[in-house]
Parts: sequence; C-alpha cells; structure tokens
Amino acid sequence: MVNWSPLGKLILVIAILIVNITVDSLLVTFVTLGIGLALMAYSTNFKIPFLIFLAILEAFVILIFGAGVISVNGTDSTQVIWDTDFLWMHFHMTVESFNKAWLILFRGTAGIAVMLAFATSTPIPHMSLAMKQVHMPPELIEIVVLIYRYAFLLLERMEAMWNAASSRMGFNGARTYINTVAAIAIGIFIQSTNLSDKSQIALDCRNYRGYFPVFSEPAKMSIKWVVVIVALAVGVYYFGRYTEGWIDMAHILLGV
Amino acid sequence: MSLLEFRNLTYSYNSRQKKPSLDNVSIKVEEGRRTAIIGANGAGKSTTFYSFNGIFKPNAGEVLYRDRPLVYTKEALRELRNDICVVVQNPDEQIFSSTVESDVAFGPMNMDLPREEVDRRITNSLEMVGMSEYRMRPSTQLSYGQRKRVSLAGALAVRPKVLILDEPTAGLDPQMSREVMELVDELCCSGTTVIISTHDVDLIYSWAEDIIVLNHGDLIYSGEPEGFFSDAAKTASAGVARPHTFSVNSYVSKIRGKEEAPYPRTSSQFVAKMAPEGTVGGKIRLIPVQDKAEAVQTSGHVGVYGYAAKKALKEADISADYLFDALEMCMQDAVKGLDSVLYCDATMYDMAKERIEALAKFGVKAEVVQ
Repeated sequence: MVNWSPLGKLILVIAILIVNITVDSLLVTFVTLGIGLALMAYSTNFKIPFLIFLAILEAFVILIFGAGVISVNGTDSTQVIWDTDFLWMHFHMTVESFNKAWLILFRGTAGIAVMLAFATSTPIPHMSLAMKQVHMPPELIEIVVLIYRYAFLLLERMEAMWNAASSRMGFNGARTYINTVAAIAIGIFIQSTNLSDKSQIALDCRNYRGYFPVFSEPAKMSIKWVVVIVALAVGVYYFGRYTEGWIDMAHILLGV
Repeated sequence: MSLLEFRNLTYSYNSRQKKPSLDNVSIKVEEGRRTAIIGANGAGKSTTFYSFNGIFKPNAGEVLYRDRPLVYTKEALRELRNDICVVVQNPDEQIFSSTVESDVAFGPMNMDLPREEVDRRITNSLEMVGMSEYRMRPSTQLSYGQRKRVSLAGALAVRPKVLILDEPTAGLDPQMSREVMELVDELCCSGTTVIISTHDVDLIYSWAEDIIVLNHGDLIYSGEPEGFFSDAAKTASAGVARPHTFSVNSYVSKIRGKEEAPYPRTSSQFVAKMAPEGTVGGKIRLIPVQDKAEAVQTSGHVGVYGYAAKKALKEADISADYLFDALEMCMQDAVKGLDSVLYCDATMYDMAKERIEALAKFGVKAEVVQ
C-alpha cells in the first residue's frame, strides 16, 4: 500500500469519510470500518506499535464517552427510554438519541480505522506531495507535515518514558498507574517545546525550505483510481440511503 | 586566511540569562586543520556550532566565513549551509524521513540537484558509512548506531566543505567509533575541514591538531592540545579530564626522569617511546588502492584502511585481519618488530605514510615499503 498513489489514497480516504458522515446508516459505518480494517491489515499486517494502539484506545474511549453524552441528551418529545436528574440538569435517553449515539460511535471508529490505514501507509513526503497536488496552501501543508512528524517524535519519547516508568515499578496498582500516566503526559507536554526547537534546528542545518522534497516519486494517480473512488463512494452512498434505519440498536439491545 | 572565525562573539538564548551562552569569544578555525571543541556540559559547544552555520545570530560581535562576515538573509544562509553541515548528536532529531534513502536524499534535494546526481550521492554516502544494504529500510527499524550512521550519510551527501560533528561517537560501540573516525580521516584527506565536539578526550587527543576549550561560555584555550593538557589546574577548572595517553606519558617520564616531549598521542607512539633504545621497527607495506586490490604474499597481518580500500578488498575477496583502526594496529605491529601489509585508500596514502614515519620521532623507525 506504501507504493499506491498517495493522492489516490488521500482522495479515497476523504471520499469514504464524507460518505460515512453524510449517510445515517449503521451498515455504512460497518462497511467503512471493514474498508479501514482491510486496508490497515494490508498495509501493516495489524502489527501496530503499542503506542499507536494506545492512541487508538484513547480515541475509542473518548468516542465512547462522547456517545454516552449524546445518548442521554435526547429531547423528551420522543419516546423516552430512561431519564434522570443530576444537579440542575435533566437527562433523557430516547430511542432516537440512543440510536444516534451508536451511529456516532461506529462512525468515529470507522473513521479512525480509515485514517490510520492512510497514516500507516503514507510516508510524510508522500503525504505532502499529495496535498501539494490538490493545491493546498504550502503553509498548511508544512503545518500538517510538522505536526505529523512531531506527533511521532513525541510518541517515541513517550514510549521511552513509559518503559523507564515501568522499570521503576511505576505501574504497580491503579493509583500509581494513574499518577505515572499523568506524570508522563505532563513530561511530554513540557518536553514538546524543547523537542520542536531541536528538530527545527536540525531541519535548518539541512537547508530545510518549508517543504519536503520527494526523491523516490510515488505512483501517480491514474484514471483507475478515479473510477474506483467514484464507484465506491456512489455505491456506498446509495447503499447507505437504502439501508437507513435497518438496524435499530434500541430495539436490539433494549427491546424498545 | 582562517576558514571560520568568531570576533568577540556574544550570544544569549534570552535576555533573562545572567551570563551569555557565549561571552565575548574570539576563535579561529583554519582550513584543513583537524579541530576539536571540548568543554563540560553547558560550556557553549552547541551554541558555537549553530553560530558557525548561522542558525544563531550573535547579539554582539561577528562570525566570519572565509574572512567574510555572515549575511543572515535566506539566500546567503542557504549557500552557507550547503558549505557548512552540522550533524547533531541525537540522530532522532535529524532523521526526518521514513526511509533511509529519502532521508539521505533530503539535503541534496534541497540543493535542487538533478535526480541522477542525488542518486549517486545517496549510493556513495551510504557506502561510506557502510549502510548500503539498508537503503530502502524504514528509518524506524534501525538501531541507534545505524541511525547515527544514516545521519552522517545525510551530511556527507551534501558534500560540505566544513563538516561539524557533535559527539560523533557517543553511543557507538568501539568498532563503530573507530570506523567513524576513519571516515573522518578520509574526509580530512579529501579536503573537508572537520570540526568535532566531544567529551571523549582520548579520542580527541589522538585525532585533533587544534583544540578549542570552552567553559560556561568563555574561551579557555585555543591551540595545540599539549598546551592545554599540560596545565593540570586549567584542565580541571574547565571540567575536562586529561587524556589517558597524555597522563601515562607524563607519569612515566617523571619516574624515568625524562622529558615529556615528544608527546605520544596514540598507543603505538607511546609504546615506541617506551621501547628500549635501538629497537628495530617492522616494515609496513603500504598499498594504495584506487578501485581494485590485488592479493599479496605476507606472513604478517593484513589491514585495510578507508572505505574504497575496504570495498576493493571485498570485491577481490581478499581477507584482512584488521578491518578497523588498521593503521594504528599495523603501527603497533611495527613497534613490536613485526611486518604487516596495509591496503589504504589512495587519498589517505600520504597521511598514513606520514603517521608511520612519525614513529621515528618516538624512537622506533618503521619502514614504509610500497
């Protein structure tokens, strides 16, 4: 997948993500998730580094929390499954909000899978080349590329800190675990400025001019890519429109 | 004419600093001289490097390159950094691209060189650091030592006139350290001026012709190493240890009631100095290698020095006993009265011959034969 056209991959991912959020069908999120997982399996053979796995897990936890909040924020004008009062707030879980929460949870998960498939199979220079080909502003490309690179540098630093903490029994017991994770997070945040300074100096030493030249040109986007992307996007879109409402999570899980 | 010069340079990272990182420093680096910058942590070594290539602009004073003050415009800095390349200590800060090839190509591509030339430079510089077979490897899959070599290859591909190496041997095993220093020798012989910063005083003492010593942003010493290391109080106050060979020579000379000079810098020179008078040295058959090497009959050890010689020997399927630090090993053999053969890059021939002949100064004459 590394040898695929980066522009093709980028447009494919964007097309899938757009269809994923424009159609209110749970089946489409499953299809998107399937595509993302298949691409990830093809590009990484599911050999995901531990820290990337942690990052996915964190995103998933955030999604679950977000979906939870959405599920209890229904309006009481529709059928209420469950409701409660907390302080001055009234929470209503309705069939609609419950289904919406599941849809968003699956959408988010599928989106992460697709984006990760792209991220794990596209080197930074290829990504910047793809963005350049779609005429994105150079400043924006530079910011994206640097963030992308620094994120990995910070993850590598975090891995070293994680291992050091584990060798000093930093993960013994839940309380210590939480304290250690918090300390690592703070440490990484503090180090991020220093790290970016050093990396910028290293780049300047190598005559960095704001873009990343590509030596081995990746494959170009051919007409086949256009056909596949359009066919996939249109197919999934109409499949989504046709299957909207087929899966009712409230009925499946709660029987209402 | 000096190659690089600081004239009363002062630099502070921010205005709150009580003492500048470089305080009214004036130094000169001569073209072709092997120069080392030493000092304890926080002495101002990195600040010096980054002032040389225009990353840091001085608060006062000036930096001169080939007797011209640096111009801090985008274009001028670009040209300067094509000439002066810095290899940072931590390769992870320098390696940016996902594969070895693309990372080594980064510098030459920024110089807008034709693709064929970039390709040639990648091949050549990876060969020089012994990383050819890793060309298409993801950079994340490399060991620390390999990443260090890739970062060096990235600098070599730029073909700089001045190469500044920050702790080039830190974190490397002894063999790799010596290979890096051999490569540095090779660059010096081919006309690159190399400046090294390190805490490894033993390494520096055996390599450098000039040293610049910094302490808390002040210039403590600039000149030949012996002038600094013979002043024990100055050495200690700068937070620098004395080189092992220097100390041992000093103690032994005192015990024997002899002059410390001439100062041996390597083990072979030291042993030559300590050898009984009239010791007859062995012969070193020095074979310059351009492209091809031919096997020779010998009962002694065979050494190979320089990457072109190593490549030629590999192609000719000639085995060698000394694959790294070979010049020093052959000289040690010569001091012991043993003969040896040294295949050496043609560019390094004169330097190797000079070093072998210099043994005579320490009391043992090793004969160089072709």
